[in-house]
Amino acid sequence: MREMKDNVSAAADQRATAEAIERGGVGLTVTDLLAKVTGSAEATVRPDDADPPTPRGAGPGTPVPVHSTPPREVDALAAAVAAVAGRYVPAGQLAPDADFFDAGGTSVNAVELVSALEEELGVSVDLDEVFADARPISLARRALESTGSAAAVAAVPEAAVPAVMQPVQAPPVAARSLTTPSDSTARPDDLTQILADLALADRLPFTASPEPLPPRRILLTGATGFLGSHMLLDLLRHSDAHVYCLVRAADEEAAVARLGEAVKGYALPWSSEIRRRITVLPGDIRHPHLGLTDERWNTLAHEVDSIVGVAAAVDFLRGYQSLRTSNVLGALTLAELAATGRPKPLHHISSIAVFNEVGIPSMGEDDPLAHIDRLVAGYDQTKWAAEVALRRARDHGLVVTALRPGGIGGHTKTGAYNPQDLSSGLISAFGRFRTVPAFRYLNAAPVDWVSRVAVAVICEPDAWGFDYNLTGVPNTLDDVVRDMAFGGMHVRVQDWDEWRTDALARLQADPISELAFLTRVLQSPTALKLCEATLKGPAATADRTTALVEALGLRPASRYDARAQLKTFERLAHDGLAHLPHKDDQPYLWFTEITEGTVGPIGATPDTSCSMSLTLSIASMHQLVTDRRVDVRGEVTCPALHPEPLTVERGDIWIRPEEGIPHRHGLRHQLLRYRLELTDTDGGRWWLEGHKYARARRDLWRQTRALTVQLGREGEPASLAGEVVVPADSYVRDQIDGIKVDPHLTSQEKRAAKLTWLAWFGLEMGRGLLGPFARAAADLLDLRRTPTPTEHHR
Amino acid sequence: MIFRTSNPRTARPALRRVRTTTTLRLLHHRLDPATVEEIPFRTTDGVRLGLTRIDTGDRAPAHDRPAVLLLHGHTASADMFLLPETRNLVDALLDEGYEPWLLDWRGSCRLPYNETGRRYTYDDVALYDIPDAVRHIRTRIGERPLFVVAHCIGSLTLSMSMTAGLVPGLAGVVSQGVFLTPKLAGRTSLRMTLAGELLKSRIDHIPVDFRKVGLWSKYTPLFALASRKASCPDPTCQILHNSAWGTGACLFVHEHLTDTTHDRLAELLGPAPLSILPHLRRIELARTVVRWHDTDHRYRALPQNALDAAARIDTPVLLLAGSENGLWLDSQKLCHDVLAHRQPQLDITYTEIPGYGHLDTFLGRGAALDVFGHILDFLGERR
Repeated sequence: MREMKDNVSAAADQRATAEAIERGGVGLTVTDLLAKVTGSAEATVRPDDADPPTPRGAGPGTPVPVHSTPPREVDALAAAVAAVAGRYVPAGQLAPDADFFDAGGTSVNAVELVSALEEELGVSVDLDEVFADARPISLARRALESTGSAAAVAAVPEAAVPAVMQPVQAPPVAARSLTTPSDSTARPDDLTQILADLALADRLPFTASPEPLPPRRILLTGATGFLGSHMLLDLLRHSDAHVYCLVRAADEEAAVARLGEAVKGYALPWSSEIRRRITVLPGDIRHPHLGLTDERWNTLAHEVDSIVGVAAAVDFLRGYQSLRTSNVLGALTLAELAATGRPKPLHHISSIAVFNEVGIPSMGEDDPLAHIDRLVAGYDQTKWAAEVALRRARDHGLVVTALRPGGIGGHTKTGAYNPQDLSSGLISAFGRFRTVPAFRYLNAAPVDWVSRVAVAVICEPDAWGFDYNLTGVPNTLDDVVRDMAFGGMHVRVQDWDEWRTDALARLQADPISELAFLTRVLQSPTALKLCEATLKGPAATADRTTALVEALGLRPASRYDARAQLKTFERLAHDGLAHLPHKDDQPYLWFTEITEGTVGPIGATPDTSCSMSLTLSIASMHQLVTDRRVDVRGEVTCPALHPEPLTVERGDIWIRPEEGIPHRHGLRHQLLRYRLELTDTDGGRWWLEGHKYARARRDLWRQTRALTVQLGREGEPASLAGEVVVPADSYVRDQIDGIKVDPHLTSQEKRAAKLTWLAWFGLEMGRGLLGPFARAAADLLDLRRTPTPTEHHR
Repeated sequence: MIFRTSNPRTARPALRRVRTTTTLRLLHHRLDPATVEEIPFRTTDGVRLGLTRIDTGDRAPAHDRPAVLLLHGHTASADMFLLPETRNLVDALLDEGYEPWLLDWRGSCRLPYNETGRRYTYDDVALYDIPDAVRHIRTRIGERPLFVVAHCIGSLTLSMSMTAGLVPGLAGVVSQGVFLTPKLAGRTSLRMTLAGELLKSRIDHIPVDFRKVGLWSKYTPLFALASRKASCPDPTCQILHNSAWGTGACLFVHEHLTDTTHDRLAELLGPAPLSILPHLRRIELARTVVRWHDTDHRYRALPQNALDAAARIDTPVLLLAGSENGLWLDSQKLCHDVLAHRQPQLDITYTEIPGYGHLDTFLGRGAALDVFGHILDFLGERR
């Protein structure tokens, strides 16, 4: 991180100021503070400002000399703000012109920063302002603006800010001449900056066409991200290329460690077999020349034959100013590398967010992008600006492929998901609250498909240089509701506004730390606009991608349905984000079971009566299919244990446990296994273990009802054994006619639930009963004489 | 049968009748021939097998290299670990400092026994092939640790040898696909039984190489059946990928194979003998590895039921399986659950490889990335 390189004296000054503020902060006025910090403001000018490091820096119009015009007030307040903000970033200090989030501040830190500014400096800044532009200098300007020093602020054009990360500043003239229509929703400052950034593309060198050969050496950025790490593995799997991964870290060792952690975190393999095919380069896309040495930059420019830019700052709260260094300047730096030295294609991961305008008519691959002045969220604006800048780069001869994923869902096989992803958050909220907002389409595809298709484009020279929508098959609202019902979660549809208010109220009433970011998104007006545009947008079409997938024989896109989401959902539930139906919830379906029989001491004739009255329930069909388990409650009456009935504390029944494999060699297959933990009225604890067995005998009806049981005190071996049986006349009454279903369901859903259970259970029992007969039959077949082979070529 | 039982044009050359000894087909690899040592190896019941040691050349002294015995699946051969077209397991093992040993047990397609010669059951493999090979390797490597990486039936028979106590003191075992609790889909099992019963008096093996049997032969209906709903037009691929020797199971994820491997399938996997079906059926229906010979006392060293004797396993076991295994389904997960419940003292770990099928865990082009890492990690922790 660049902030780490700041000179020590400035840091010390800032810290001293901060400490001073902390010590005496309460009684100080803003003016007092300003007087205190003015001196140090001069010292915070970065030493490396002296030599603008990038060729792009040689812009038209020499940069306005630093500190020539700005009133001291703004700078001073900015320094004070920077001092406070410095406490919340990992480096411990922040330059007034550096972005708080880029320096490592999180959204939680931002909330803390706002309250700290209010408390210590008496400066009140709106949280949304912080997200829109989190450089201390902008915060200071905005604070002064709101307190009436507007005149002073107006005199400070953007360009006057000493900027390292912004090699070219928006010419102030452009800012004034820029006229925006009345329905424009973007901030004028941002539009000015966007135009200036787009102009950077014009400074790229002209370049020839790359050789149309599959890549052998690929530079990949963003390999530590969700899509990036999946693409890294797919690049290794589906090409013979060596991959150079640009990873943000202090040195190579740290970079390798960071990449390894990220890859493993997404349930991907990380072994010596992978490490031998990659080279990890410590660097940063936000820096000129990617933060690499000139030597390495030149080596890459001449050796690498393909560049894949996946890295991006994905944050729906932050504004354009805050995200542009990563998402726009980073992309342009990669374009510069692509055009330098040997010509090479640049494959840029864009986003369907470039269409994220409320009311856009269509989202085809070659359709016009959104109107930039109607994009609200900084993320959408940066992705738009990057893609448009790279379109301009195409005019310089550069081959640029724009790959636009929509929502990237969890992996269909591993379930790995992106915890900070909006769709993961929304899905877990849907499952948790059992409500969904009415949306038109969810343009989402699983990460494995997105990554595979993106890699196919990279490895296929004929596919280079076009735009692709990697959005898969859009899900409609009906699809999602049906899928969730299929998974046992019957959701109700609400209007978007109603859902948002409702979900926010629930999230605030019962905060879930894993969903904290969703709470913040639902509170932020800009992020809400983004959500709204996403949910009300049309279905993305992807004709070119479909044609390519077909031509290359890849797996065609399929809807990201319940089956594909299952693994992800299980992982979300495991990590506490989603909520799977649990035995303490309202059961999905339940019925009673009565058994009667006798038990006696081990080895003796069973002569004491023993009966059980149980309620069998399932929380969801998912529990049946994955665990093959039914929950049990109820009581056991067994005078041999205790004169009073014993309560079932916890009980489970497994259906065809261990695939019915017999306990010992033989034909006695397991059909059902009961395991109950019992307590008597005196607090004594007991266990009961019961089995139903399938045998190759004709008493099938009895096999399904007779339960061989053993009972014992907790932690001790069995003391009683015997057999209890479900009375034949109670079976149909209790277990078929007596099935009850969750009353919240509609009658149609109830009937479906009952039928599904009966069909599933019947089939499982049928398979279990058939097992021993099949073995007996096979034994009979084996009695047949084995003929001597008759074939000619013996 | 309306079909002719033999075709003079495709009949085997007379050489087979005059040759008195069994010869092995040559291995197909890209190693330095000087580093591949073929050992003339015969089991104690007199069957000629293939045993190959890959010399490490001048890379490192042999004395601190642990040996790793690789067992192929039924009808495959040691070639499956030596694919020249991809990064193969032998390459990975050599680079990590192991000494690979490759056994071609009697079910190998480099040997003629699947088509000709006397019948055998998996009991023979568990009693003779694997223990004899381990004994032979031990005489060569001395005190160095010996690991085993086994695939499919190689692993199933190894589980029988281990529970019989015939291969004590292994340093670790990696089992791919299936171990103690084989489980087939009901449909596969039914088709296997039906086909076996109907065909056993007519043919004695199911060929996979269409080029060797020709378009019009008694095997034509088999190939025709296998081509139902197949996506790949190659008949060899159809009978393997789409039908697994006519049983209807899926052997590998098609897109995981390189084109070269796909074209070599007939060389990598050979014909399946029908005579093995009764034993396989008995094992599969019992969902555990069971002995075939109940009355032959030569086989009494083997347990009647390997799962009941699982307490004799004295080595850590890594159970590997592709999540999309179309043949043995989730047998490995079942095995892990059953052993965790019945023999909790054993060191058994289960690793699922997402998206992989059965054979592609070794033959797939990405196998080195997705699969071998797990194997090398397991061996590395115990070397």
